[in-house]
Amino acid sequence: MAQSNLGGDPLTNRVDRRVIHRALVVLVVAAAAFFLLTAMGSPALADTAIASSHASAAAGDASATATQTISIHAEAADATTAPGDNRVIQQLVNGLVFGLLLALASVGLSLIYGTTGLSNFAHGEQVSLGALLCFFFTTQQPVSLPLIPVEFTIGWPLVPSAIAAVAVAAGTGWLQDRFLWSPLRRRRVSIVQQMIVSIGLSLALVNFIQWWFGAERQRLTTSIDTRLDLGMFSIGQSTLWSLLISLLCLGGVAFFLMRTRTGRATRAVSDNPSLASASGIRVDKVVRLVWVLATGLAAVGGILLALYDNAAAFDVGARLLLLMFAAVTLGGLGHPFGALVGSLVIGVAVEMSTLWVGTDLKYAVALGILILVLLVRPQGILGRAERVG
Amino acid sequence: MDILLDSINEMIAPATAAFALAAIGLNFHFGLTGLLNMGHAGFMLLGMYGYAISTSRGAPIWLALIIAIVVAALFGLLLGWPTLKLRGDYLAIATISAAELIRYLGRSNSLQSLTGGSTGIRGNDFKFTFEELSPLPDENITFLFWTRHGSLSSSWWLVIVSWAAVALFALLYWQLARSPWGRVLKGIREDEDAVRALGKNVYSYKMQALVLGGVIGALGGVLWALGNSVQPDSMGRPTTFWIWTLLLLGGAATVFGPIIGSMVFWMALVAVKGIAGALIPTSVLSPVEIEPFSLVLVGITLMCLVVFRPQGILGNKRELAFND
Repeated sequence: MAQSNLGGDPLTNRVDRRVIHRALVVLVVAAAAFFLLTAMGSPALADTAIASSHASAAAGDASATATQTISIHAEAADATTAPGDNRVIQQLVNGLVFGLLLALASVGLSLIYGTTGLSNFAHGEQVSLGALLCFFFTTQQPVSLPLIPVEFTIGWPLVPSAIAAVAVAAGTGWLQDRFLWSPLRRRRVSIVQQMIVSIGLSLALVNFIQWWFGAERQRLTTSIDTRLDLGMFSIGQSTLWSLLISLLCLGGVAFFLMRTRTGRATRAVSDNPSLASASGIRVDKVVRLVWVLATGLAAVGGILLALYDNAAAFDVGARLLLLMFAAVTLGGLGHPFGALVGSLVIGVAVEMSTLWVGTDLKYAVALGILILVLLVRPQGILGRAERVG
Repeated sequence: MDILLDSINEMIAPATAAFALAAIGLNFHFGLTGLLNMGHAGFMLLGMYGYAISTSRGAPIWLALIIAIVVAALFGLLLGWPTLKLRGDYLAIATISAAELIRYLGRSNSLQSLTGGSTGIRGNDFKFTFEELSPLPDENITFLFWTRHGSLSSSWWLVIVSWAAVALFALLYWQLARSPWGRVLKGIREDEDAVRALGKNVYSYKMQALVLGGVIGALGGVLWALGNSVQPDSMGRPTTFWIWTLLLLGGAATVFGPIIGSMVFWMALVAVKGIAGALIPTSVLSPVEIEPFSLVLVGITLMCLVVFRPQGILGNKRELAFND
């Protein structure tokens, strides 16, 4: 599957030269526009504009190969020499952590796309739902359910609440597929229609979550994370636990996909649903399982990200959704391992970009990468070269 | 009674007209050509910025409008160039990202002096050229049950101008949709390969539709800004999704669909908020919860519309852009 395409056939892997020219022109125009705007905005900021367009160019190159990213960024850092060595490494570590946590959410998105062909715009809300459900179970404040005017306190410890939250979130995945997506598939509703349904679902869910948990940022835990100083960089103790959990989950998914019978069936459905169905695989069962797995993983990602960021609000998932799409597209739509690689690249690019551009623009960098990937290699790093238009 | 009057007031409000105009633009994309533009709010935001920034730096109103149009057209060209050759959902992801990119740039601190950062541009800085043109008296005017100012902000003057613009562009849509040009676009929507086989340059036609619809969206954004202010976060993804909902509600690929859709959408939203506020006790649904509650209903409406009545109120089931 995924790996067999890595080396690839030289004909299909070669990027069309015209496409590269097109990408370069768009990049130059965008950089020039940004530079012009900044220059118009304030002459004093012109210098930083050069640096930032420089950085976005470097970030753009990063989309070409995962491995070169680091070296390009390091070179760019040497060129500007503004940030110290430690900050570069610190941001690199932060980026890898963020990328690994993001991967939990994007792997699910990619699995859903692979098995059903649906770009699920409501996946971001599953991330926020996981985080806020965990808050719901763990907080010491009184909580209530929407439309029911009774307040009560649950206040479980963090770990059982997290497990309960993941279970409930995975349950919503089961419910969604049982009562929404599988009837739509049976009615042969087209993929485009299903995509707009998922947009409606995302609009409904994000507002439902806001209605339920309020618009404030909620903290999952009040304890302060002790930071371990490891010489070149420092990292929080609970972040290390998060990393471990994230790696275990991703390892579990990889083991499931590569080694178990059901996992092989999932990959078969991903490859060709009709053929899989004809060879005796129950496609609907597999898809249902994928929905449960994807929503559960998204909830794990949401909880860990909320711990990493110290707090979560109702719109955290909506803001991450486009980063997930960027990661999934970069790795190759429908390839779970591509989603992992893509997430790491996006995570590193997002965090490293704060060395040159303001933190309020760090997500913009990821979206820039996404657009560049669509220009140069729409099938992504691991994707098969196929006609996509 | 108050709820009814408020709803009707919302129906004729300039913001409703602005959304109707933006939806006419989206109708060129989706209804006529079948393009999945999920970043329409980006076009609106660019139009707003183009108009407001140039006006606040002393440009006359005609120049400001031209700048808004040019900026949106350039954005359309830049966006369409790489993406129009890709499959539908790639275009959706690319447009939504590009629109968010515009919003992030607009609200970033590095462009603070130009775009005003996340607080945006105050109405007083760019509305005066439009308000000076008003022939109406400079005072509150009551017409039947509704009172608005004659020429300031969300005024009767803006009501007249914006609905006139909506009528004009609806007429344009009607004429273009039945022209040979419009028939090619409909052909692309139905079967791209067939049109290509007839020797038409599909890419170029799609690009023309994208740019034209985007420019109309930008003008909708200008109208919206004239009634409110330029605020990047008001033009985020939800705005795009609302435009989609009201377009599908009224009926895509129809002349009056966007207009009816916008009127019904905003009227229903105000009515639902009013009724929910009046009937449901505050212990069950507190005032701060009414807004998200009504938007949950919007989301559910969008889902149900797409599944059960994709042609909307006015549409024709045979003329649907959902063919994959």
